[in-house]
Amino acid sequence: MTTTKKKIRIMTDSVADIPAALLQKWNIGIIPTYVNFEGGSYADDGVELSRDYFYQRLPEMKEFPTTAAPSHALAEDLLHKGIEGYDHVISIHVASKLSVTANNVRLGAQSLKDRVTVIDSGLVTMGIGMQVLAAAEVAAATGSVEAVVQAVEKVRRHQKLWAIIANLEYLRRSGRVSVIRAFAGSLLQIKPILDVHDGEVEVAQRVRTMGKAVAKLKELTEEQAPLERLVILHINNEDGARELQASLGSVVPPDTITITVGPTLGTHIGPGSLGVITLRKAWRS
Amino acid sequence: MVVEIGRRVCDGHVFKWLLAAGVSWLAHHREHVNNMNVFPVPDGDTGTNMLVTIQKAYAQIATMDEGHIGLVSEAVARGGLMGARGNSGTILSMLLRGFANGLKRREVMDGASFALALQSAVDYAYTTVSTVMEPVEGTILTVARETAAAVGIRARTENDLQVLLSVAAAAANRALERTPELLPRLKEAGVVDSGGLGLVYLLEGMLRLLNGDQVDYEPAGASGSVAAAPARSDWKDAIQPDDEDGYGYDVQFLMLGQQLNVDEIRRAISAMGWSPLIDGDATLVKVHIHVHNPGEPLSYAATLPGVQLDDVVVENMQAQYLQYVQQREQREVPAPLRQVDGVAVIAVARGAGIERIFTEYGAARIVPGGQTMNPGTEDFLAAIQSLDTDEIIILPNNGNIILAAQEAAKLATGRQVRVVHNRTIPQGIAALLPYADLRERGGTLDEMFQAMTDSLGSIVSGEITTATRSVTVDGISVQAGDLIGLLNGRLAVAASTMADILRGLLHKCHAEDHELATLYYGEGVTEAQARALVDEVAAEFEHLQFDVIAGEQPLYPYIISIE
Repeated sequence: MTTTKKKIRIMTDSVADIPAALLQKWNIGIIPTYVNFEGGSYADDGVELSRDYFYQRLPEMKEFPTTAAPSHALAEDLLHKGIEGYDHVISIHVASKLSVTANNVRLGAQSLKDRVTVIDSGLVTMGIGMQVLAAAEVAAATGSVEAVVQAVEKVRRHQKLWAIIANLEYLRRSGRVSVIRAFAGSLLQIKPILDVHDGEVEVAQRVRTMGKAVAKLKELTEEQAPLERLVILHINNEDGARELQASLGSVVPPDTITITVGPTLGTHIGPGSLGVITLRKAWRS
Repeated sequence: MVVEIGRRVCDGHVFKWLLAAGVSWLAHHREHVNNMNVFPVPDGDTGTNMLVTIQKAYAQIATMDEGHIGLVSEAVARGGLMGARGNSGTILSMLLRGFANGLKRREVMDGASFALALQSAVDYAYTTVSTVMEPVEGTILTVARETAAAVGIRARTENDLQVLLSVAAAAANRALERTPELLPRLKEAGVVDSGGLGLVYLLEGMLRLLNGDQVDYEPAGASGSVAAAPARSDWKDAIQPDDEDGYGYDVQFLMLGQQLNVDEIRRAISAMGWSPLIDGDATLVKVHIHVHNPGEPLSYAATLPGVQLDDVVVENMQAQYLQYVQQREQREVPAPLRQVDGVAVIAVARGAGIERIFTEYGAARIVPGGQTMNPGTEDFLAAIQSLDTDEIIILPNNGNIILAAQEAAKLATGRQVRVVHNRTIPQGIAALLPYADLRERGGTLDEMFQAMTDSLGSIVSGEITTATRSVTVDGISVQAGDLIGLLNGRLAVAASTMADILRGLLHKCHAEDHELATLYYGEGVTEAQARALVDEVAAEFEHLQFDVIAGEQPLYPYIISIE
């Protein structure tokens, strides 16, 4: 039971890959993550660094790019700015098992005491984004922190994220994901379908060709129908994304979007990759 | 004495002698049976497989002093079941099982019970084979069935075992001669069914003993030194050369001339060794023979007036044999046993690279074998028993191994063993990927078996090897020594260069509609050679990616999966 309706600001990090129009619509605040390459450090906010440029350069880069979470000082600064004019901030972040971003934001939020609620999405890219958009909707409708936290929890239980890794080299070079050890000495060329949930990255399928991987991805997506939201992910593979969406036919809900995964995450995945994030309609029941 | 007793009734002792004679006669003709391959590929080894099977069966009674034929034939059946290898060997073991069923509780066998036992053997084999595959006519099954039918009719009026055995041998021979009519593949290749031929030799050996004819060889195991319980290293006995000078050399060449006398050449060269295959016409004669001194046939042929030699190939079979024994011994040093939870996979493979891949994707045991040296039922049983789990899936990776694996699955009481019916190494690798996925998610035996079976159709399997003899199959003519390419086990192309073969295979399976061709290069091929081959061919297949992997398999320079 909430006594008064609070003014709640929803914030997230740039890994969420939320399109600018949606950020604007819900006035969502962004805490950027950083990509360091070729001697520079760039905020991965879609402004400072052109994604197309970055991915064109990526295969050629001699030094593998590194990624960095925002410092807690930066987070503190942005939270203080973000909460101006609001009663409360709910900040939803990239899986804490994959990045220290959520932890740094928690540290940065200490000076705001209980006016900030930090949530570990357990996901990446628009997987975070879907939770953020649901949070914004529920916050506007209810003004209840509790209701938003519950809604995010429900969304999370009805989400799925799968990605086909076109070339394992990038994950291998990044050394970030333990699942890749399964392929460390792989003799065969494999295009695995990864399943990301609760910060864990698991191998859903081992397949050897993109064609078979896409067929499997389609099958996995169809099993989730009916869908409220569908996001198609890709890195420099727009044709693949378009074909996948077309092949899904009536499974595709309105407002389906296709996005290029941001450099922070994309550095580890590499060009050619393709993925989907689903949110089942059932999350509202 | 044996003969006198044998005419009227046959007890356990006589049966043992009859079987020993059959084994000897088959051993003597093993190479002949081996050479009855439809496909000119180093494959099958039906003679060896049947011989090992029947030797295992005989080893069970070699030291037995038992007059009760029911008990003796029961022991033979048990031994055969354990030793069964290859499809023909496995069917032979089924025949032995059914034969023993027919003699149950009989102390002696007379003409009537011989006929009944033969019929029981045939019924059992057909029924058992039917549980795993459609019985194929024109094979050992047909020969056995027609033999039993002929003996059954004659036994109504005849009780003399020697007469009935001669009826059996004659009927088997007639049935064998008709196998090419029933199986067009045999006819096209100009051979009779190899398993049927093996059965004929078994029956003939028995008959020769009764007729008082010479049966040359002591069957392995007859010395009494072989323990009743089969030891794992018995394969060594099975492949030991019959000749104390060893396996010798395999010599093949073409004779070019004007007025060659094929019959005379055949007589002269056949006398120099064994397993001769000599054929041709006045201008071209193809010679294949196994000898201890390769110089003999070569100098004979080269010194005939007006004769040129071509395509001379001399292979040291003794060296190949010794190398194989050494490799297999090394492999049989038990690998550190991998602990397996849940469902384990046993895969048949040869070649260090291929074995590594199977291990990488979760095969718990590798049973050495494949194109030649088909592993037997007991090899599978040993692998099954070495595993600490009750649920097992076998990948035979070869059509000639499926039956033996299936038999082992039945014998492994208390465990659930499934056999994937896959015929090629690429299919086996394709099947392992979903297995690896499901294992991580704790999938059930049923789910895994289904997913593995479903995966078989998702790829095309190619193989490149050298033709072991000249033949026309599926409308393609090859000369012994030609490079040949197979698609899904069928002869698809013959050509003189590796690049042409690969190109031909890829075109034939419409590789341009596929995404990935994986080349596993074999023993004797370097990575640089494999990559050069790909570079030479790749331009023609714009959308196809190539993956080059060291397979190190023998006999097949390349195994290819196209998906």
